[in-house]
Amino acid sequence: MRIVHYVNQFFAGIGGEDSAGTGPELRDGALGPGRRLAAVLGDAHEIIATAICGDDYAAGHPEFAAELVEQARERGAEMVVAGPAFTSGRYGMACARIAAAASEAGLPALAAMHPDNPGLGEAAGTSVVESGLTARQMRDSLERFAAATLKIAAGEELTAQDGRIGPVARTNRRAERNAAERAVALVLTRLGGDGEATEIPLPDFDQVTPAAPIADAAEALIALVTEGGFVPAGNPDRLESARATKWVRHSLEGLDSAAAGSFESVHGGFSTQWANADPNRILPLDMARVLEREGAIGRLHGEYLGTTGNGTTVADARRFGMEWAAELRQANIQAVVLTAT
Amino acid sequence: MDAVAGAGLTRVVHEVRELELGERTSYSAGRLTVGEQRARDLLEDPAFAEVRVACASPGDATRIVGVLDAIQPCSKGPGGGGVFPGLLGPALPVGRGETHVLRGAAVLAAGYLPRAQEAIIDMSGPAAPLSPLGATCNLVVEFTPAEDAAWEDVDAALRRGLVRVAAHLAEAALDAEPDAVEELPEPGSTANGKPRVAVVTNLQTQGKFKDVFVYGRSLSGGLPTVITPGELDDGAVVSGQYGHPALKNPTILHQTHPVAAALRANDELELAALVLCPEPVDQANKELISAHAARLCAGLGVDAAILSKEGGGNADADVTLKMDRLEEEGITAVGILAEMAGRDGTGPPLVVPPTKATAMVSTGNYDERMTLPACERALGRDRVALLDQPSTDELELPVAVIYCAQSTLGWGRLTCAETA
Repeated sequence: MRIVHYVNQFFAGIGGEDSAGTGPELRDGALGPGRRLAAVLGDAHEIIATAICGDDYAAGHPEFAAELVEQARERGAEMVVAGPAFTSGRYGMACARIAAAASEAGLPALAAMHPDNPGLGEAAGTSVVESGLTARQMRDSLERFAAATLKIAAGEELTAQDGRIGPVARTNRRAERNAAERAVALVLTRLGGDGEATEIPLPDFDQVTPAAPIADAAEALIALVTEGGFVPAGNPDRLESARATKWVRHSLEGLDSAAAGSFESVHGGFSTQWANADPNRILPLDMARVLEREGAIGRLHGEYLGTTGNGTTVADARRFGMEWAAELRQANIQAVVLTAT
Repeated sequence: MDAVAGAGLTRVVHEVRELELGERTSYSAGRLTVGEQRARDLLEDPAFAEVRVACASPGDATRIVGVLDAIQPCSKGPGGGGVFPGLLGPALPVGRGETHVLRGAAVLAAGYLPRAQEAIIDMSGPAAPLSPLGATCNLVVEFTPAEDAAWEDVDAALRRGLVRVAAHLAEAALDAEPDAVEELPEPGSTANGKPRVAVVTNLQTQGKFKDVFVYGRSLSGGLPTVITPGELDDGAVVSGQYGHPALKNPTILHQTHPVAAALRANDELELAALVLCPEPVDQANKELISAHAARLCAGLGVDAAILSKEGGGNADADVTLKMDRLEEEGITAVGILAEMAGRDGTGPPLVVPPTKATAMVSTGNYDERMTLPACERALGRDRVALLDQPSTDELELPVAVIYCAQSTLGWGRLTCAETA
């Protein structure tokens, strides 16, 4: 098969974090880990090109994936593989998105990353194979990746034994009895000594280690971000009041305060009466400007990022977080004030 | 703690299979005729410029958009005879004697209120079986607020009007031959050796338009309290909560509490008590209420408890904290919960999982999408604001907007499982 392999700017040899804003491109042949992957895959398959994108660019421009897949198809790609991304979040998200975009375009696809990679949730049902924690485990990871690639190329399904990772989809259906009757039956089962019976398995949540405090706020560039449904009056982007699938950004340049009538909250989870009477209660622009004038903070970032945190899915929230992190890093922000409601 | 000998409620059931508007209200052999002018008079209030009533029955090509509360008509005598205490009847304990109910009928309001998330009922098509109100003959109340009316006053006027109409309709059946007479003994301290099960019902208490009323008062700020299921039949709990359509527990589902019904129907277990709890907005109070509810259940000597919630993600904690505290008291806890696992069902199903307890029943994934076919008539609202489309269009929406589709009072059969 003619395979296109995706790597980030680092594994393509372009550069580290300073090059994370590099845009998408396709280069001929295998690069970096792709060379060893090609060797392990053997003669039946060929890596015809390497698709590359910077991690920050990929996080901030989800359309990069469809663009690269289109270019890959034009070059005659019959399959797309991505990674391994280990535990790198933005890289993992990019690999998952490329694999998902290739699947959507009808190509066999596979991504490789560690099971703890926060990008895993973006794979949308496309196959993902387990890799090690870090690039130190590159050799073993590539062997497993290559074996899984051969299986997918042969049109077979990956199994847990092959190292398939990723959440299993749960779908709605109608039960024989109503939920109240099933709850009564479950009481009897549990009182009968079965300590395990349940309809909902306990979810696994990842833990996030907070960043270290900034050394000197007076030198820092600070951004305001919020999940309070904070939007310009009239909600021009039609940000959802619940179950948000997107986030918005708007300029704060030249504004001394978030005036009533200029901004509002569309959050559906609380009464917005007091937020709308004084929108600074959601995005504390007025106090941030005071602190900026007093020199307590270095400077306030020229725009805010916001969404609505109300019934938002973990997958969407995780994606917003990764996209915000990439945006804020690109803007050299040292700290954010995230107002939660 | 023995209750009054023989105390309990006699439920006199009149089935409603047909609904129509007419000159005057009457009930005969399954047909309920609503006196249109009388219903509008009962709803009249300075907060309204206009009210309208319409019928929506099972099988109609009708969609109801912006559904607020829904109530089962009931009466204990002329003028209601004490039903909906604190709103219609005096705020004194109910739940004993006889109550006539119009089973298969509902009075519901539909339209705009602030904070009300758009709730949809289809009377036919694939979404109809997902709502309990898709199978009832519904008198739908639409309203236009008076120009200067405060939204709180519109909300209160709707609540008062709906219970007046509900009592009025059931009054028409007081002398009719019943379809069934059901005896509902009060939960007591009967030592029959069966395991004793408490029903722990959380009521959302998140301020205006997201509140539930017990004897006409919000339970907000209070502690868990014990109530008899018969009091719910008589309308002691009336909902003013309009968020999270699929997770809503409207008044009619309190009146017909499915968990209480399932326990009564089970020969091996004893319905020991019904505990109402507020759902505070802050963590410290969630913990207090949860620990207190568990102590209350321990004091009642129960062996197990079945818990339900109202509202979205944060209300998971009101169930799962209680499940953990109950298990610490040695009480088997079963929580009924909806899943919020994302469109493709691969996300974590719960926002706040329990840490010790693990027995849960699922009412399905809130985020899974479905297509509602186009229909002929819409009531409540002309447009679906969420999609900015005419209400009669074909609509692609998450299960989350289907009224009561995932109510954790457990009426529905929707559940969720791993895709094979």
